[in-house]
Amino acid sequence: MSSNNWQPVIGLEVHVQLATKTKLFSSSPIAFGAEPNTQASEIDLGLPGVLPVLNKEAISHALKFGCAINAEISEKVIFARKNYFYPDLPKGYQISQLDDPIVGKGSVEIKLGDKSKIIGVTRAHLEEDAGKSIHDLYSNNSAIDLNRAGTCLLEIVSEPDLSSAKEAVEYLKKIHSIVTFLGISDGDMSQGSMRCDANVSVKKPNDQELGTRTELKNINSFKFVEKAIIFEIDRQIKELEKGKEIIQETRLYDSKKNLTRSMRSKEEANDYRYFPEPDLIPIKISKDQINDVRNNLPELPEIMKERFMNSYELSDDNAELVTINKETASFFEEVLSYEVSAKNAVNWITGDLFALINKNDTNISESKVNPKHIAEIIQNIEDQKISGPSAKKLLEIVWNEGGEIQKLIQKEGLEQISNDDEIEKILDEVISENQKQFEQLKSGKDRLQGFFVGQVMKKTSGSASPQVVNKLLKDKLSK
Amino acid sequence: MKITEQDLKNISLLSKIKIDEETSDSLTKDLESILTMVNKMDELDTSKINPLTHPIENTQTLREDIEKKDIEREKLQELSKEKDSGFYLTPKVIE
Amino acid sequence: MSDLINLSLTDQILGLTDRSFSSKEITEAYLSEIKKKKSLNCFISIFEEECKENALIADENIIKNKARPLEGIPIAHKDIFCIKDKKTTCGSKMLSNFVSPYSSEVFTKLDDAGAITLGKTNMDEFAMGSSNETSFYGNVLNPINEKLSPGGSSGGSAAAVRANLCSFATATDTGGSIRQPASFCGVTGIKPTYGRVSRWGMIAFASSLDQAGIIAKNAKDAAIALKYMSGFDQKDSTSLNEEVKDFQKEVDANQDHVIGIPKELIENIKNDQVRDSFNNSISILEKDGAKIEEINLPHIEYSLPAYYVIAPAECSANLARYDGIRFGHRSNSVSSLEDLYVNSRTEGFGKEVKNRIFIGTFCLSAGYYDAFYNKALKIRNLIKNDFDEAFKKVSSIAMPTCSNSSFELGSISDPVEMYEQDIYTIPANLAGLPAISIPSGTANDMPIGLQLIGNYLDEGRILNLANKFQKLTDFHEFK
Repeated sequence: MSSNNWQPVIGLEVHVQLATKTKLFSSSPIAFGAEPNTQASEIDLGLPGVLPVLNKEAISHALKFGCAINAEISEKVIFARKNYFYPDLPKGYQISQLDDPIVGKGSVEIKLGDKSKIIGVTRAHLEEDAGKSIHDLYSNNSAIDLNRAGTCLLEIVSEPDLSSAKEAVEYLKKIHSIVTFLGISDGDMSQGSMRCDANVSVKKPNDQELGTRTELKNINSFKFVEKAIIFEIDRQIKELEKGKEIIQETRLYDSKKNLTRSMRSKEEANDYRYFPEPDLIPIKISKDQINDVRNNLPELPEIMKERFMNSYELSDDNAELVTINKETASFFEEVLSYEVSAKNAVNWITGDLFALINKNDTNISESKVNPKHIAEIIQNIEDQKISGPSAKKLLEIVWNEGGEIQKLIQKEGLEQISNDDEIEKILDEVISENQKQFEQLKSGKDRLQGFFVGQVMKKTSGSASPQVVNKLLKDKLSK
Repeated sequence: MKITEQDLKNISLLSKIKIDEETSDSLTKDLESILTMVNKMDELDTSKINPLTHPIENTQTLREDIEKKDIEREKLQELSKEKDSGFYLTPKVIE
Repeated sequence: MSDLINLSLTDQILGLTDRSFSSKEITEAYLSEIKKKKSLNCFISIFEEECKENALIADENIIKNKARPLEGIPIAHKDIFCIKDKKTTCGSKMLSNFVSPYSSEVFTKLDDAGAITLGKTNMDEFAMGSSNETSFYGNVLNPINEKLSPGGSSGGSAAAVRANLCSFATATDTGGSIRQPASFCGVTGIKPTYGRVSRWGMIAFASSLDQAGIIAKNAKDAAIALKYMSGFDQKDSTSLNEEVKDFQKEVDANQDHVIGIPKELIENIKNDQVRDSFNNSISILEKDGAKIEEINLPHIEYSLPAYYVIAPAECSANLARYDGIRFGHRSNSVSSLEDLYVNSRTEGFGKEVKNRIFIGTFCLSAGYYDAFYNKALKIRNLIKNDFDEAFKKVSSIAMPTCSNSSFELGSISDPVEMYEQDIYTIPANLAGLPAISIPSGTANDMPIGLQLIGNYLDEGRILNLANKFQKLTDFHEFK
């Protein structure tokens, strides 16, 4: 709903939790779901006398990201202290990066239908995460869990190049796909390993200056990113058209009510008093190190997509779908390793399997259906051992219970009857039960063909080969 | 250099330390005295000089990404007065 | 028995090795003397039972020829070094109940070398002070004249060594806190190169300036103790990965010396006795064969203001972790989170600490960062350059440790006047250079010190020169 040509201007800040084994400055484990404070060492707790030591792997992950988005890479890794008080920030400061982010300006390309757009990335820097404060466990207290305190984050800041909620979602998906393909994060928004804040403002096309922006927080899914931004753009336009001003503030997205609301301001414009971290000596990054990373990058989604289109003759759309994330792409290639046709593999994965995944709100890694299952289903169809409908049934069974394809085909009686004689026998039965319709079909009511095929399928519980039924029916009609 | 009441308010807020009325006068005096001494730095033109954060920069310590699983939560939490079920407790925060 | 406590470290090691006396004897002698001189208030904690047990173990090790380098030698640690399962208070109410779950590297190294810890020495609160008058545990008295200050912040360590309560004590130096008390108490104190000794477990005041060192009876003793304390530590990112020379050998080696004298500085010394004693000391060394050269340290007078921006700024961040939530003093009047922070911190910190936090916060705050903090870092660069230039011509630099001898407790209330105690010691901290103070005469019948500053990693040289001086003079002898 465009009102009077207001142009939205959106920038996203994405916090990606890096897939390291330990935290950024301590050797504490970071597995999700541990008992509170069982992964908080003396360093993470900020006890007197503790000191930070930088995780090598975190640098490596950040460099991979920088190379993947063709960004400038800093020569030195320099940290700074960001000072503020909050119970989930044990030292009273966060070790982050200010003027010298490890990754500088880069860009990513997003697709919108046929068109593509380049979105600038201003910077990406390393910082430690805070812990968690839980406010609804106790009536008079807040509960602090510092398991997450100190985990490695890569904060990726986009230029305000996004012009719509849809573009924002595409950008977010792109970032997600890059970090998962690189293996530097599992990008799981529901577990908080990828978090997104949006800076939203609107302006008229002729305006030189940008409008006042608000920062949206608490957005933890792709769906909510879109909804929150749409709501906020709408809200701002309404306010401006009433003649009111937009207040620069942080707003929380309420997913239940689908609205954004002003955060009860903790402190107005906190003065973070950044200064260089004295406990960490700047780490030099050599050009050789950067080249090494660049030359050894895992295959990125765009490249993989091109390769699929060329090697397997997939259409652009199908290639896009099957490279939607690393797990799906691997799944696809593993199906192909069983020597079935790429076209069939794509159809089964992006059709029925995706449908099951979406319906159950899960992901391909959780699927009981594995590449071998899909390959065998396809092979059985190609060999005409089962029918299409039977195959779908089979897929659902495996989805729910797992199992071996051959055994299940037998157990469920899904073998396709392709034996002409057997089918003819049943067809004859159907014809004799439906003489009138048969006469009508003979005299030209072609659409009754489907009826007869359907009846045979019914009698055989879907295991007759529809092609054979059709062939035999045609023969009988021509007699 | 003069320290205003607003300055004191700001410092107190940022450092989370109370400055009460009785001591604010003597504190102002002390702070002004120190800042006057510090302002001597203005005598030097440092426009072409780089800031030096670390006196020595030739050490480059990095840590291998290997887990250390020796965290004894109970022992560490002996240090805290307010805790329950593994959590640290603070007065309720309203966001 | 009382003779044992008068022995130097070197002689104690010899005596234990050749079984002239036992560790039990010497430990008990010290414990008895500590009780006798309780009024000096040198100790915050005394580990009587453990000492006695450890002394027995030490004696066994000696008999079995399993003696480690400092086996059975009773020492004291400044109460800034964490010791596992023991209280470490840092002279503050904030940590009066803090029992550390881990040990500092300094403690571990000396403990591994066989030293026996008598207890933790008193100090200015959080190492902030130059007179040991800011401790929550009360003033330390100068053993030579109990009305006077022992200096600070390592007043307890310096007084303990002077009063024959231990042969050496660990201490820390951020702006002069080893050298100045050593000067006031007529003992030897050395601050090594920044990064030479691990800061792991050493409660932080100003991270880029803090260094651990030794207060002992003479340079030879200090060399031995420093040797076993030094070395690279993975847990401290600012720790130098450099070979530690054998200071014990170097202290007595045949070395040539070129001593730089900052002429302008010396000419501006106000106190005649201090200036004369300095000139006298230099002629003694010259007669012994050292070359004397005039050098220039053009920016040295700006060390004081730069230090009193950098140190408070770093301390304001380092002390933000003290909030009563995970450890330390927690206020009883806590009806909101804000109360918890403000009341715990206001109750827990003393006046000087608060002042420094205020100054530091101010210097880092919005609008002031460039004028104060950044400017101070630039001056730091200038001062380091001054030293680098000077060390092209000379191998050590000499100047007095302090502008005067000790003063009456309670006599200095102007903060700037107190800060000016460190006017000659601060430059070495800003540049990170090793520096030692040795007794070199008296002023107003109280000891004064000669300070020797060495180039990076050149502790051996200044120890050597100090030892030479002590062979030619008797100022360091307790009379």
